[in-house]
Amino acid sequence: MELVDKIIKGERASIAKAITLVESSKDADQQISRQLISELIKKPGESIRVGFSGPPGVGKSTFIESFGSYLVSQNYKLGILAIDPSSQITGGSILGDKTRMVEISKNPNTFIRSTPSRGSLGGISMGTREASIILDAAGYDFIFIETVGVGQSEIVASNLVDIFTLIVGPGSGDELQGIKKGITEYADIFIVNKNDGELKIEASKTAADYKSALSYYKKLDELEKQVLLVSAIEQTGMENVIKTINQIIDQNKLKGIFDERRADQLEYWIEEEVKNIIASDITKRLTSKGNIPKYSEKVMKNEMSMYEAVERITKDTLKQ
Amino acid sequence: MTNKSNNGFNTWQKSFEKETKKNFSDAKSETDEGIDIKPVYTKDDLENFSFVQNNSLPGQWPYTRGPKASMYTNRPWTIRQYAGFSTAEESNEFYKKNLESGQKGLSVAFDLPTHRGYDSDDDLVMGDVGKAGVAIDTVEDMKILFNNIPLDQMSVSMTMNGAVLPILASFIVAGEEQGVDRSLLSGTIQNDILKEFMVRNTYIYPPEPSMKIVADIIEFTSKEMPKFNSISISGYHMQEAGADNVLELAYTLADGMEYVRAAMSKGLDVDDFAPRLSFFFAIGTDFFMEIAKLRAARTLWAKIMKDFGAKNERSLILRTHCQTSGVSLTEKDPYNNIIRTSYEAMSAILGGTQSLHTNSFDEAIALPTDESARIARNTQLILQNETGVTKTVDPLAGSYFIENLTEELSKKAWDIIKEIEELGGMTKAVKAGIPKLKIEESATKKQAKVDSGSRVVVGVNKYKNPKEPSVDVRVIDNNRVRDDQIKKIQVIKESRDTKAVEKALTNLTNAAKDETNLLIPCIEAIKLRATVGEVSKALEQVYGRHFAKSLSVSGVYGKHFEGDKEFMKVENKIREFENVNGRRPRVLVVKMGQDGHDRGAKIVATSFADMGFDVDMGPLFQSPKDVAKDAIENDVHAIGVSTLAAGHKTLVPELMRGLKEIDPNSKIIVFVGGIIPEQDYEFLYKNNVSAIFGPGSNIIESAEKVIDLISDNLSKE
Repeated sequence: MELVDKIIKGERASIAKAITLVESSKDADQQISRQLISELIKKPGESIRVGFSGPPGVGKSTFIESFGSYLVSQNYKLGILAIDPSSQITGGSILGDKTRMVEISKNPNTFIRSTPSRGSLGGISMGTREASIILDAAGYDFIFIETVGVGQSEIVASNLVDIFTLIVGPGSGDELQGIKKGITEYADIFIVNKNDGELKIEASKTAADYKSALSYYKKLDELEKQVLLVSAIEQTGMENVIKTINQIIDQNKLKGIFDERRADQLEYWIEEEVKNIIASDITKRLTSKGNIPKYSEKVMKNEMSMYEAVERITKDTLKQ
Repeated sequence: MTNKSNNGFNTWQKSFEKETKKNFSDAKSETDEGIDIKPVYTKDDLENFSFVQNNSLPGQWPYTRGPKASMYTNRPWTIRQYAGFSTAEESNEFYKKNLESGQKGLSVAFDLPTHRGYDSDDDLVMGDVGKAGVAIDTVEDMKILFNNIPLDQMSVSMTMNGAVLPILASFIVAGEEQGVDRSLLSGTIQNDILKEFMVRNTYIYPPEPSMKIVADIIEFTSKEMPKFNSISISGYHMQEAGADNVLELAYTLADGMEYVRAAMSKGLDVDDFAPRLSFFFAIGTDFFMEIAKLRAARTLWAKIMKDFGAKNERSLILRTHCQTSGVSLTEKDPYNNIIRTSYEAMSAILGGTQSLHTNSFDEAIALPTDESARIARNTQLILQNETGVTKTVDPLAGSYFIENLTEELSKKAWDIIKEIEELGGMTKAVKAGIPKLKIEESATKKQAKVDSGSRVVVGVNKYKNPKEPSVDVRVIDNNRVRDDQIKKIQVIKESRDTKAVEKALTNLTNAAKDETNLLIPCIEAIKLRATVGEVSKALEQVYGRHFAKSLSVSGVYGKHFEGDKEFMKVENKIREFENVNGRRPRVLVVKMGQDGHDRGAKIVATSFADMGFDVDMGPLFQSPKDVAKDAIENDVHAIGVSTLAAGHKTLVPELMRGLKEIDPNSKIIVFVGGIIPEQDYEFLYKNNVSAIFGPGSNIIESAEKVIDLISDNLSKE
């Protein structure tokens, strides 16, 4: 495929068009997209994929602008996939991430793509995994996946990345009660932002709260979760973030956790794809047979129970 | 209502209901401010007032009726026309001509690079030099600007907020080198940074250091420049950005309170500086509302200042400049603008303004020509000399309607002011982005009313002119202006004492660290011929440059069109597009260069999104190259460029080049909206612009055109 070579050469427009393909809901595009991804997967780069999540208002984009600036100043190439939460159900989306990433978006060593989440589960859009494969093949050293931290997003996002980071604000320690368990399993690093000005004391206190809570939930064989203090506005603490990321990656590689995770993620991906195909196939069959209205009527007339109807429809649909 | 039992009123009500076939209680019309206007007002509507006092007099508490007892009967308002363009030489010629034709005060418009603290030779400002105002790089330019205009006799108003330190310093030094002591300088510097963060976006530093600079200037002028107004607290730009009158009134006064606190935090007594605070309001087409707004503003400010402990009567009095609304001007059938401006001017006068700028009718298209500026000025001269409005002070006082409206506006504004105070004041509210969002919401509602036809704009959505007149406009060759400025900067940099300048700039940087008054070291640096850009950078080292976060409202526009056929037609086209192409049409909406007026861009973004487009918002102040990268990485179908400051002739071709540089096969189409003279249309089309939308364009029609253009373009592949 010509597109493959262009992506590997790092041609910006081709990378962008490829991401459009993998995000497209058109059948023809999806076929090309599968072909493309199959080829690209054979030529993997060495990207580290880092996930960033956190509740709205903690300054995720500002942090990424700040941390990203630091990385490009160290000559890293940086790809960013920002899942924009501002979707509406009826209308289109306003994608405003770049208004908060002014400096890095100018830099020739970055590639930044915003995608509307379209209300899909966990704020991860269709195609995010594939988009990260494209950026990996194109030679980006780091790929950031930014999601809005609501509901299940951490869990879904953590299945796409090598290291998962949760950004929180000062004073959020109280929320720990609510998020405690799931979080400790999925996040590797906790970043307390806004460690500046009047909030400094509060930020340190929050970091300490997180540390003690996390040690409480730590499993025996697990690495210690890292809690870092940064100020996106004052650009402090950034060196520490990259140092910590590199340390965790090195350790995980050494212990085989890195490959293990990627293998798990591949399994999850395959499972997901199979489920998707089956689901859409079943949906088609269900509609074409028109069994549901028929049986529903019978249930209404008390000719059979609801569960009986379900059983019959299921058997009928799977039989072929 | 006691009158309801009154026979006279009952008879009237019956007649009214018979004539209109409506119940009296349903016969109200709601204004943008959410005030119900009744078809008739009576004596009963003068009761239960909390703010307005029925028997007050002009020049007396609570100053509703005017700051002075005699008002225009003694001296009419000052005709103060805002102007400036290209080089200092050309602006100076223009000023002198205007003064000979009856204008009384000067009001300087600076170009965007100067506002944002960049020198004309900075690469970032290529398209903006000399465009929307005059370019000032050093004190030499300032001296040329006032050549043969004696600064001890002429009051000068300067619209400057971002680069307020080097510009005020240049004005002081220019005066000194004319032989005029700073204590004799009179005029006003806008110095109102809070509203820049809300609407106009010509800030440089973050909110906190910016507030410190405002306070420094109030402190300095209160001690050394007794005839100079240290600040012009401006609601004008809020209304221009779409705020209704209650929002304009409330946010302006809340800004004023914040400045009072900032000055008091420097240890000044409120009466030391409050008499030199001045205001600036917009006057739109809602005739009676605008009159009531000025009366309410004075009433509320007197109360506010009394609460601050002001003892000097002059501290209690709100004095204001007014300007007719720029956003009410239309590109279509432009001579209508003369009529609009005349009525707006009349509102300002009946409201009791101290000075007035009337817009030229061609300002929806370009900067005024000599001829259009003359008509604008004559609008005021006719009011002063022919209509008799100067003969009676506050002639509408006692009108049931006006007094009631003044009270209603005061109440509504007061509620918002209280809300802001509870949030901890305007700096905090601005940082949280609340006022900006409220103004954008109001702007989007107004636009939807016009586009849906529920608000008539003559010549635009009704009574269109079948033969649009063509109008000659002022053309500015900004490349020539830029070259001239660059040469001047070079000459100065070669002849000045470089070491002394460097030292002065270091002193300035240190002063910023020490938190001492910055104007003093700034004057030193300017005197030695440091440039505006150098001074701004010296401070930037300590404060950094501010980048705004952009929040957007959504759903506000679409709500006005539920069930609207045209709106649904576009929605359907977009749905169809998604089915065929596997994604929604995606459009990047941008502003380029130093032009920060983003109302248009924001309205287009939210309304397009409401119709179903995916809309990328670019940050402010992008270069064409940045925009190209952004567009290509997000694989957008189209770029919409919003331009209001005339930089498009440089910036748009630059964008086209940028796109081709990254992707020689780029199929991204570009459309342009905003203030674009018709003379430039051909140039833009030649540069492959696909569509141009002038002021007053219907957004739904524009959206339909854009989706059609995108579909056509894709089918060509």
